[in-house]
Amino acid sequence: MTVTEARAPRKADVRRPPRTEPPVRTRLRRAATPWLFLTPALLLFLYFKFIPMAQAVQMSFQEVRPFLGNTYVGGENYSEIAGSADFGAAVWHTVVLAVATTAGSIVLGLALALLLEGQTRSLWFIRSAIFLPVVTAMAVVAEVWRVMYYPAEGGALNSVLSVFGMGPSEFLNSPDSSLASIAFVGIWRGAPYDMMIFLAGLAGVDRVLYEASAVDGASRFRRIWHVTLPGLRPVFAILLTLAAIRGLRIFTEVFLLTNGGPDGSTEVLLTLTYKLGLERNELGVAAAGTVLLFLILLVLTIASRLRRREVGAR
Amino acid sequence: MGTIAAVLAVAAATATACSSGGSGQQQDESQPLEVWIRQDAGSPAAESAEALTKAFTKESGIEAKLVAVGVTDFETKLQQRTAQKDLPDIVINDTGQLGNLVTQGLVREVDREGVAGSGDIAGRAWEAAQGYDGKYYGVPFNSQAFALLIRKDWREKVGADLPKSWDELTELAVKFTEEDPDGNGKDDTAGMVVPGTTTRGYLTWWFSTMLWSEGGDFVKKQGDGYTAAVDEPGSVQAVEKLQAMFCDSEVVQPGASTADSSTTHTVFESGKGGIYLTGPYMLPRFDGTLGKDKYEVVAAPPGAEGSAALAEGENVYLMAGSGNEEGQQKFAEFAASPAGQKIGLGVDNGGIIVRLPVNTKVDGAAERKDPRWDVFQKVYDDSGRNAPALPNWSTVRQISSEGLNGVVSDCSRDVGDAMGKLAGEIDAELEKQEAKG
Repeated sequence: MTVTEARAPRKADVRRPPRTEPPVRTRLRRAATPWLFLTPALLLFLYFKFIPMAQAVQMSFQEVRPFLGNTYVGGENYSEIAGSADFGAAVWHTVVLAVATTAGSIVLGLALALLLEGQTRSLWFIRSAIFLPVVTAMAVVAEVWRVMYYPAEGGALNSVLSVFGMGPSEFLNSPDSSLASIAFVGIWRGAPYDMMIFLAGLAGVDRVLYEASAVDGASRFRRIWHVTLPGLRPVFAILLTLAAIRGLRIFTEVFLLTNGGPDGSTEVLLTLTYKLGLERNELGVAAAGTVLLFLILLVLTIASRLRRREVGAR
Repeated sequence: MGTIAAVLAVAAATATACSSGGSGQQQDESQPLEVWIRQDAGSPAAESAEALTKAFTKESGIEAKLVAVGVTDFETKLQQRTAQKDLPDIVINDTGQLGNLVTQGLVREVDREGVAGSGDIAGRAWEAAQGYDGKYYGVPFNSQAFALLIRKDWREKVGADLPKSWDELTELAVKFTEEDPDGNGKDDTAGMVVPGTTTRGYLTWWFSTMLWSEGGDFVKKQGDGYTAAVDEPGSVQAVEKLQAMFCDSEVVQPGASTADSSTTHTVFESGKGGIYLTGPYMLPRFDGTLGKDKYEVVAAPPGAEGSAALAEGENVYLMAGSGNEEGQQKFAEFAASPAGQKIGLGVDNGGIIVRLPVNTKVDGAAERKDPRWDVFQKVYDDSGRNAPALPNWSTVRQISSEGLNGVVSDCSRDVGDAMGKLAGEIDAELEKQEAKG
């Protein structure tokens, strides 16, 4: 659309009658053009996303028996999942993991970004090396960490601990340390990603401000606190939103590292849903769980948008 | 317009074809059968299954196409086909799945007496094809029982005899853990190799043999249904022994409470564990990795209440909505016949889909020329015990594995209290399955 307007001659053409509204057909065509371009994507989304989503909502009100036919059970699935202690625990574990992983990744990511900012040639290599965990498949990462977390003296991490006279730790194998161990893997993997976004943000901070504060005699820490961090505010907003969504959807690492165990100490929303749906064959209850997760995400998204608008209006 | 008319015509034709489906599916005895087995494509086991279907086609003249559906996502794939209301004709799958299949209406009932050669099939195997209502929903194909694999070289090194009770077994496990039986100077061996994860109910599966031998149970018959029995004294005592293995004597391998069977196989074959309760299908693998002379196969020792060992197996399920019910029946009969069973033994290619033959006319150990298989056969015949015929045992198995996992992960937890709580959960599930007596 912009292209056609840009091409329209700006000079007033005297021989033409004054501009009137274009004919209806043209207007319709113009309105239809973007939709035509969107159609293929929308059709795919409709078939692979929106219809399954609607079906999940429908299933959440049914006892699902694909071959015999589903029966409507009203809110029974919801009261079953919301009332179960497992669900409450899973929500709590999910939130703890999300908060710990997000906070850890951001702090570590920022520290890495501050250390590795600059143009020096060798930094390029180090940054790539640090970024490697992000591009490695989660399944591989989880298997490697499972081996490293081997809960006896011979284990890779435990032999490191023993150098410092500690351990051996049970890591994933004890209800006390399992959640922290998973969060650590999440931070290890999430921090380099955050670092990259911070690096991009740091490039956008005005150098003059650093120089000015240096002239004013600000210490290194004060420069970070008063110049860098305020300059990175939009980056934080992006990272927090991404992390919240990523955190609540956590599945692969938990599934592969502990599958919710030991003693349900690492059960998160999606592993619980997976178990209910595919191991206990209660697809209706599992669907109710995912609908609840969807509602939580929806509320969080709207709340954060409203808040941003409020801040923007101020 | 021409295309629209054509589409409508096709849609109308499909609609009529569908309406004649369901239980009154039109029958065509020449229609090819689609056979599903839970084996990875390209594995020797899949080759044996392929040989079985080929032999069936040769014998009956009915076309049969084998689909080896992967071990890990078999249930998901079956659910997908269920959603399309187009099931394969034959599914060869675990006896433990029977309740699930019946509840969902995916399988046809089988007339036990109407199956050719029915009398030659072991009664215990038939029992595993029986639903909660007492009717049969599959034809037995494969059975198996579990026995102990013990590191012979380690046992001789620590100078111990073969254990005659669960307590002696634990003592042996303690020696394996503490006396450095592999002689490498490091404290890196475990006595007992246990898959303690809750995934697919592994812990319950492993613990069944011990629980039953000690006189405990997960559920017991009551009235015309079942009720939880994990909180009874015999059960609690057995679970206390289980907890002690993890917490007091610490004879299980590190990480046992989250280990699945792929992990435990590796623990045993890499010489990190000395006693492993498992099925006969592992013998070929351990012969290769560990060496045949390094370990011995013995029946699990009797407990307080005598011997009981978990028996399992696979059935040939005749799936609902097939267009060739006659062919389904013939396939099941062929698979259970001596000819079918011998192919399944996989003597030539190592693809073992029949572990212990269900047909009493076939002597598996003699066919294989390996007496160790006789140990498993004896365990099955003398003390084999099938999982209870609940409407859905796999759910109860899952719930109880979570309860047991809690006790072994948290050593301070009181077993009596925990089992009381677990019994409540099992009862609630039985209620839900309408099987509470």
